[in-house]
Amino acid sequence: MEEFDLLVIGGGAAGMAASLAAARRGQRVLLAEREARLGGILNQCLHSGFGGGLTGPAYARQLIDRVNASAVCVRTGTDVLRIFPDRTALLSSRTGLERVEFQKCILASGCRERSVWSLPVAGSRPAGVFTAGTAQKLMNLGGYDIGDGVVIMGSGDVGQIMARQLAQAGKRVVAIIEQRDQLGGLPRNRRDCVEAYRIPVLLQCTVDEILGAGRIRGVMVRHLPTGRRWELPCGTLLTALGLIPDRALCRELLEDGALPEWLRLCGNCDYVHDMVDSVVREAAQTAF
Amino acid sequence: MEYTDVAVIGAGLLGCFAARALTALDIRVTVLEAREDVCTGISRANTAIVYTGCDTKPGTLKTELCVRANRDFGRLCRELDVRFSRCGSLMAAFGPRAEAVLRKKLDQGRENGVPGLELLGPGEARTMEPGLSRDVTLALYAPGTGTVDPWELCIAAYENARANGADFRFSQEVRRMARTESGFLLETTDNTYAARVVVNCAGLRADAVRELTERPTVRIFPTAADYLVLDDTVSGFVKHIIFHEPEEKGKGLTLVPTVDGALLAGPTERPRDTAPDWATAREGLEELQALCAQVVPGLPLEETIRSFASLRPNPYAVREEQGQWVREGRSISSFTVLEENGLISLIGVKTPGLTCAAALGEYVSDMAARVLGQPGRNPRFDPSRRGIVRAHDLSEADRAALIRRCPDYGQIVCRCRDVTLGEIKEAIRRGAVTLEGVKRRTGAGMGRCQGGRCMEPILELLAEAQGVPPWRVTGDGGAAMVRGELRHGRV
Repeated sequence: MEEFDLLVIGGGAAGMAASLAAARRGQRVLLAEREARLGGILNQCLHSGFGGGLTGPAYARQLIDRVNASAVCVRTGTDVLRIFPDRTALLSSRTGLERVEFQKCILASGCRERSVWSLPVAGSRPAGVFTAGTAQKLMNLGGYDIGDGVVIMGSGDVGQIMARQLAQAGKRVVAIIEQRDQLGGLPRNRRDCVEAYRIPVLLQCTVDEILGAGRIRGVMVRHLPTGRRWELPCGTLLTALGLIPDRALCRELLEDGALPEWLRLCGNCDYVHDMVDSVVREAAQTAF
Repeated sequence: MEYTDVAVIGAGLLGCFAARALTALDIRVTVLEAREDVCTGISRANTAIVYTGCDTKPGTLKTELCVRANRDFGRLCRELDVRFSRCGSLMAAFGPRAEAVLRKKLDQGRENGVPGLELLGPGEARTMEPGLSRDVTLALYAPGTGTVDPWELCIAAYENARANGADFRFSQEVRRMARTESGFLLETTDNTYAARVVVNCAGLRADAVRELTERPTVRIFPTAADYLVLDDTVSGFVKHIIFHEPEEKGKGLTLVPTVDGALLAGPTERPRDTAPDWATAREGLEELQALCAQVVPGLPLEETIRSFASLRPNPYAVREEQGQWVREGRSISSFTVLEENGLISLIGVKTPGLTCAAALGEYVSDMAARVLGQPGRNPRFDPSRRGIVRAHDLSEADRAALIRRCPDYGQIVCRCRDVTLGEIKEAIRRGAVTLEGVKRRTGAGMGRCQGGRCMEPILELLAEAQGVPPWRVTGDGGAAMVRGELRHGRV
């Protein structure tokens, strides 16, 4: 069994920064990334604004180059299936199933999006309903056209950024629907993504029902203060309902709700960050 | 025109099990399915329970088949390599009305020959199921109740029937049927079939199919139901199937710890016209949340990952009144199996239809054999089938060996449910043509992210297998998931 001082799970900004910091201190580090390349969520964020004015992939590139030049041992295309209390982990990749031994572990597996199907939203389950992040990946990495006449449910940053990208791609964004009395997300996104593209916003509203057989044809909108409901036709629904740290791997390791001292969370897996710079800064400090 | 001995209409649970039983005979069996895959109608959405037989009256066909099917269910699932959990059930009462129902079911169940039934006081019930509300007053424990994945069971019957020679034809909706001297002539979307016997397992359309040649006597008046699915993070919170017998009139709540570790809560009951078919109703979902909070107060409802709706095919006797067919009395409670000169119809088979699917398959196969003059046995019939290997369920050593043989099993596609590329490819090889088809065969897309991460690679694998671009691939045979290509193409 191979032995490491530190196992880092997740090769996004947080995992790369934590790996680099540990390697600088002379630790033997294994960085496991499930995708075929490092970069994590940055890879699908083609807009600029990372670390000043870079695009997501350009920002990732800087970190990837440093990782490649370091002593960090990188395994891409590798999923960590389980972490065991005896400080071993089970890794799966096309080359095989492997157990590695480690002294410390950093979980930097990012976050996942809340799916619309987890809410008591009534209606059918038609095609054309995506989380904002899935839509971003389909468009930016897959090169797919996800549809037109887009309603965006929820107004977090990912939703607003997708509104801008869709508008730029010549799509009609029907509305952003937000439960609160103001948009969420960063002020700069509100200005650059929503106001600049004159995206209609329905505040204090929610989606009550999804309509359409086959492809989505509309949503039933409800105005929360008055209870008024109306049908808003659309051809695509993106949902930006919030991000949830993805900690499935450490569920079995909790002792009275606490993580063992040899395991730490880092990046969006710890809490959801607004800025990648703060992720990188904190990750460097998280490294044991 | 194509000739066959028996044409089975519909490839849901009943159609697939009828076909499987028929292939044990030395005859030609053709299955005509309107949709693109098996298990797309009422079979696809239900409570996933294998009942014991204490809910129905003694001496009926339904009771006889249910008790027998429950006893034999372990063997059936071993034959078909299908996961089955005999987790037992607790029917919980919270007051005198429900207690009386439990006592009646205990007596009825014992008369029906259901083994192991026991009434438990509140203390015992809560020892067995600590999450149950403190307000429980009495519980009926049935150790024989179990749960099975209805998709897995249906697909297993399909694959086994196919391996034994049944010819499955998809996208073949039967539009016309006529009697001929030697049997029936069936016109589908784009073909004509001649059959000596027709086995009508057309689910919601079974009455309409029967009426292509017969006069209406029984019709289906469906009701709809809603369900919630909780993530496998709640696994262990509920250990038995819980039937909440409400104190007021109403449906109560059923909780099912499924074979893949999720928790199913449902069903409600509401008129069909409260929502489009297969669409959930807000009131129904909210009712379920309220019932969960009442029956198992600590259940983490925030772990809900999905909701869905089902249709219950309630059969009613009908009579003609001023040119209209109107329903008479209450819904027929027994299984309605009609044999009319070679046309065998299963109309409005509902609970415990999943439990009895294999038994009903054999029942109609025996009927067909009588019509066909008792043909010989199929000498090559093999009742066993192997499922798709689930890497997740293997030991570490077996999983490692599998990856060495086939590296695709080392690559995870659905992270929520730990489903590998090898499993997805195998599902497609075995007949999945839609995302739902892959999901029903492998579980990919059923976890907490609901396919957000694995949809794209699966879409591309389906497209590649079918030789079409990904924007031709559908979720469930309806509309395509993505619309086309962006001009900039792939980054």
